[in-house]
Amino acid sequence: MKVRTEILASGFGGQGVVRLGQIIGEAAVKEGYRVTMLKSHGTEMRGGYVRSQVVISREPVDSPIVENPDIFAALSLAAYNSFKHLVTDGIILYDPAFVVEIDNTLTCIQKPVPAKDLSVENFGRPVFANTIMLGAISRHLDVLDRDVVLESILHVIPKFHEENKRAFEIGYSFFNGKK
Amino acid sequence: MKRYLETGNFAITEGAILAGCRFFAGYPITPATEIAEAMSRRLPQVGGIYLQGEDECAALHLCIGASLGGYKAMTATSGPGYILYADPYGWAIGCEIPLVVLNSGRVGPVSGITGAPGQGEFYLTRYPTQGGNFETIVLAPNSAQEAMAITVEAFYLSERFRTPVTILADQLITDGFEDISVPENEEEMKEMGFRTWPRKINRGPHFYPPTDEIDIPPVVLGHNTGALCSDWTPTEEGYDIEEVEAHHKHAYRLIYKIRNHRDLFNHLYEKKFMDDDPDLVVVSYGTPSRVVNTAVAKARQEGLKVGALRLINLWPFPDEHFQRSTKYLALELNWDGQLVREVQRAAGKDSEVHFTGCCGELPTVNDLIEIFEKILKGQPLARKGWQLEEW
Repeated sequence: MKVRTEILASGFGGQGVVRLGQIIGEAAVKEGYRVTMLKSHGTEMRGGYVRSQVVISREPVDSPIVENPDIFAALSLAAYNSFKHLVTDGIILYDPAFVVEIDNTLTCIQKPVPAKDLSVENFGRPVFANTIMLGAISRHLDVLDRDVVLESILHVIPKFHEENKRAFEIGYSFFNGKK
Repeated sequence: MKRYLETGNFAITEGAILAGCRFFAGYPITPATEIAEAMSRRLPQVGGIYLQGEDECAALHLCIGASLGGYKAMTATSGPGYILYADPYGWAIGCEIPLVVLNSGRVGPVSGITGAPGQGEFYLTRYPTQGGNFETIVLAPNSAQEAMAITVEAFYLSERFRTPVTILADQLITDGFEDISVPENEEEMKEMGFRTWPRKINRGPHFYPPTDEIDIPPVVLGHNTGALCSDWTPTEEGYDIEEVEAHHKHAYRLIYKIRNHRDLFNHLYEKKFMDDDPDLVVVSYGTPSRVVNTAVAKARQEGLKVGALRLINLWPFPDEHFQRSTKYLALELNWDGQLVREVQRAAGKDSEVHFTGCCGELPTVNDLIEIFEKILKGQPLARKGWQLEEW
């Protein structure tokens, strides 16, 4: 593995951005990695964004900043536009329900994950969108075992275990048969 | 040893409990509220007491009362709360009462930005109260794991020196999540280098001699001790008066009990790539020092001879690390430059001292490398967004 694996998630308050980072971090701790997870929040209601930055490494993590994400989960247009330029070799996974305009000048891989719509379709409400996104992230994250990520979801989120398991599967298998 | 993905707030709470803290009084404030929350849950489990004050001033006074009653006590806040400690902090310094105070820095002045890191209280922690005539102890961790260790160390020093100790953290340390190992018994604490000092009782009625002596037990009221606690000048015999000679003796003790035992702080700094006489030494503390470490390692790969000096004990300021005549860069999470003034003072007159500040977020590794290159080439620094036309 690379020295550092960096994951960035950003969106509105209430979308589960911090939870999402926490679950990935929790899974990484379970797998014996050194982990940092910074969350920034509080300015969101005044027009900003919520962001979590996860760094996973076998070595102690010095800088906890994600400067070159391997995966960037963009859950709002403001977040997408703020951080898209950080991604050079990584992947942007975005929810097209919020990220309505894609920058085609970027050279990185960008994949839509319609997490909100899939949640409404399958569960009648959008609340499982972040677990669906986690499934999609897990599919692209080689350093963490998918079962450990799922276990961490059930550990961090105390309720709706059955729904969260299904939501994770939906996200994980979303790219089946796709490029 | 148990491993968690947890916040610095959790780590600090567990560190305090390991150190023997059994009293916490506080007032909630981002980004330290979770310490109060965790203390309210954890302290009753270990026979301790949690109280919420009506404000920060009251909270620290409550801690003083608890410490004078024989408890190891602590409070936690952020900058806007720390400034309200001015009165009780003076009491604790003057009456030589052991306490631990955590300040998690956010962006000021006033309420500023709550959920983002700042380092605006470098000098405030040196002068947390009025009147002068004292020295302070301030420790600055740079990770959640280290915040636990530093909390344990703060209790240790506060007991030995009979004085309040401030832990100066920042929002990223207290709010950020990290993998944290918590020792589960005394052996594991020793393995992790944690040292503790039990609360002892000064039975009075004599107050302390006018010397730099440490390890004299602190005053505990009640318990038939007959000891003194007063905001006036204490005499050695245990009376309080207003008189210059007695006050001079008192001040000597408050200043030199700390300044003359600097050896107890010797282990509280880190240096990286410092043994080969670097052309530029980057000085920092707290979370920015972690970005500095990454940036310095990368700069070395690019052939830049840069070193990193990271301070853990900020006060008393470790002048001895600035003897080398070279270029220094103070990196801080503020735009006004505080640590840099102390570096300017401590560094020799043949040295060149630079400053770069950001606030509310960390500098990036790439930003830092650009700054290193400019300084090493003798070019002037222009901070991003500093020129008004860019706004």
